[in-house]
Amino acid sequence: MSTDGTIHARGIRKSFGPKTVLKDIDLDIASGEICCIIGPSGSGKSTVLRCINGLETVDSGVLKVNGEDFGYYETDTAYHALPPKKLAEQRTRLGMVFQQFNLFPNMTAHENIMSGPVLVKGADKKEAGKRAHELLASVGLAGFGDYYPAQLSGGQQQRVAIARSLAMDPEIMLFDEPTSALDPEKVGEVLAVMKELAKKGMTMVVVTHEMGFAREVADSLIFMDDGYIVERSDAREVLSNPKEARTQAFLKQVL
Amino acid sequence: MQQITIERNEPMSGTDPALKPRLRRRSVFEYVAWVVCSLIGLGILLSVSTNPNFKWGVVAKYFTQETILRGLMLTIFLTLASMALGTLLGLALAIMRSSSIKPIAATAGVYITLFRGTPVLVQLIFWFNISALYPDLSIGIPFTDIGTKVDMNALMAPITAALVGLTLNEAAYMAEIIRGGFSSVGKGQIEAADSLGMSGRMKMRKVIIPQAMPSIIPATGNQVIGMFKGTSLVSVLGVAELLQSAQLIYARTYETIPLLIVASLWYLLMTLLLSYPQSKLEQKYSRATSRLPRKAKPVVLTDPEGAAR
Repeated sequence: MSTDGTIHARGIRKSFGPKTVLKDIDLDIASGEICCIIGPSGSGKSTVLRCINGLETVDSGVLKVNGEDFGYYETDTAYHALPPKKLAEQRTRLGMVFQQFNLFPNMTAHENIMSGPVLVKGADKKEAGKRAHELLASVGLAGFGDYYPAQLSGGQQQRVAIARSLAMDPEIMLFDEPTSALDPEKVGEVLAVMKELAKKGMTMVVVTHEMGFAREVADSLIFMDDGYIVERSDAREVLSNPKEARTQAFLKQVL
Repeated sequence: MQQITIERNEPMSGTDPALKPRLRRRSVFEYVAWVVCSLIGLGILLSVSTNPNFKWGVVAKYFTQETILRGLMLTIFLTLASMALGTLLGLALAIMRSSSIKPIAATAGVYITLFRGTPVLVQLIFWFNISALYPDLSIGIPFTDIGTKVDMNALMAPITAALVGLTLNEAAYMAEIIRGGFSSVGKGQIEAADSLGMSGRMKMRKVIIPQAMPSIIPATGNQVIGMFKGTSLVSVLGVAELLQSAQLIYARTYETIPLLIVASLWYLLMTLLLSYPQSKLEQKYSRATSRLPRKAKPVVLTDPEGAAR
């Protein structure tokens, strides 16, 4: 059993009521790979990400995260849902960064970052506090520990949110449009933190509209439309030389 | 382009127009309202103070009388006890109601419907007379011999019935208030807690309840105030709380109105006292979203430069 930050999916399907959002998704992400997912809204790119960390359940298909079946265990006839404790344990090995940051407003930045290690992993408060200080500094927010989320700008909140995810020492980081809710001015500071992270060899899956980031940082790029993966290849290759007509049309609009 | 210039210190008028006060508009209706309301207030005050049947002397005499004070203590005890127990039971019901396990959610739903759908007065009398339904309550597992028997008549003394009735009724209301608070917590918060791998209990304690508090506290304060006055209903069970104590006295002395005024003044006074801690609690729980950092220095407001001309 490998625990090295890989994601493998075969034939993933997901419907919300009558609407099929994911139709037959195959996905292989290697350890340390930086993968960007782009596509029009409603293409299912966020849903893929939410399935990978269990915020949505998959209707059918195989989903292996960190080398294990995610959220379910397999028997001869079916996949059975894991008990909540086991699912929570699998989730601790995945970091998730949301479009709307979702920091806990009742905790300071420092407490937000400590919340995972202390409340979930039962880490020593002093150790976790020291680590939180380091993480805050690493996202360029040293000295902001005592601020509540409401006192921070969007960009600062998102950097705290990234630090909160990193505090769990996940093997994989998932980013769901991390810069879409930010002022254009603040996008850069969040992307800078993500670029730093990419250098450290962590697996990253980033749903984004930032083509510049994809070109500069991503190893691979996935273009999704209408619940399918239309094109998947080397990031710079797809951006400069898209093969599929649908990808060409989309990139023409956004670039 | 034409330049519009506004002269400061125009020689024509006495004051600098930039410093003239801006006055609120007053309608004729406002003046009429002042006169009419003052007259009505004065009339009532005059009548209350001159009508000898109010017997203010009797009111003063009984205001701090021992029977009344003992009744007041019992009222306070019933309010606090039934609120505390009701809130705990209400919290349990709220958690059950939002459970994903259907029978648990349905059980809480039925409870809330029953206890909110019938009058408290009826519920109080019902619990007082429960021994007619179950003379000997045996608690145990059906179809087995395991269990114990309790004599209901002895158990349901008036004060027990009062406490049980008020608590069970309050729990239903508190459950709905707490559940409303839970649903005011954004979906993103729960997803963030989930993605960190928090267990259900941890999520409840550290994320949902603290954030639901600002909407639960004010509503609970209202419930406490309502409950304080609601305890007067248990006088029908013969529990000597504040109202019943007053009634016991005027049954002897026939000074009905003065004693009702005594009780009313105590209810009013306690309600006013209760609203103070409520506003304090409200402030405490709204601090999480306030703009000031925890260790911030107070901001000293100074006049903008050049304001004192």
